[in-house]
Amino acid sequence: MNIEKKTENGICQIFLEGRFDANTANLVEQAFKEQIQGGERHFILDLENVPFIASAGLRVILVIAKQLRSQQNGDLRISNLQPNVKKVFEISGLNNVLKIFDDHAAAMASYSQ
Amino acid sequence: MMLTFTFPVESTTLARIGEVVRETGIKAGFNEEEIGDIQLAVDEACTNTILHGLKSDPNRNFELAVEWQRHEIVICIKERGEPFELSKVKKVDIAAPLEAREIGGLGIHFIYQLMDEVDYRTEEDGLKVFRMVKRKKSASAC
Repeated sequence: MNIEKKTENGICQIFLEGRFDANTANLVEQAFKEQIQGGERHFILDLENVPFIASAGLRVILVIAKQLRSQQNGDLRISNLQPNVKKVFEISGLNNVLKIFDDHAAAMASYSQ
Repeated sequence: MMLTFTFPVESTTLARIGEVVRETGIKAGFNEEEIGDIQLAVDEACTNTILHGLKSDPNRNFELAVEWQRHEIVICIKERGEPFELSKVKKVDIAAPLEAREIGGLGIHFIYQLMDEVDYRTEEDGLKVFRMVKRKKSASAC
């Protein structure tokens, strides 16, 4: 799993590359926690280069989203889901509780609205 | 056609299993979406085996058996780990709002949503077998 981070206009963008499963979930969670400890509150998680996500990955997304929304007046938004990953979000119902965008630009723009 | 693999409890196992499932799904004639469904269900079942059944013990291993016929694929995960009560797994409320969503339980939910048959049994010699079946929706009747 490769994790790239970039902050622009107060939005911390995290770009993942690789499988998001039980083997890699802790790395992603740690990356988020480091940024939150550094003061970041508004996130975009871009999954364009994530060909596979398992429940362990969704667990990290759920934990971080809950923390940001309930404790820190922040949010975690998702962009660029591959079709099979989008299906996983739909089966889990997380597509109804998280803001998910077809592309990164739309996700960035959503924070300005 | 049937293939059997033995996998160790180590960090690279899940990715390798994903590749094996993809290759056998293609050989069995499933479409891309169906292969994705099978990959996720098998990944979830193997993750449960590794983490809960075999307690992430690197000295242990488990078997993945894949058998396919014209219209279906049958996948069995066999191990001699901790007992598991499939019926006691709490059901996930996928309609709950974010603040009320429980953190765990999605793995079994995915397996039941994506596979056509799921069962779990312990054989007389103590071997535990988690069995999943996926039938082709894309198959034409003969």
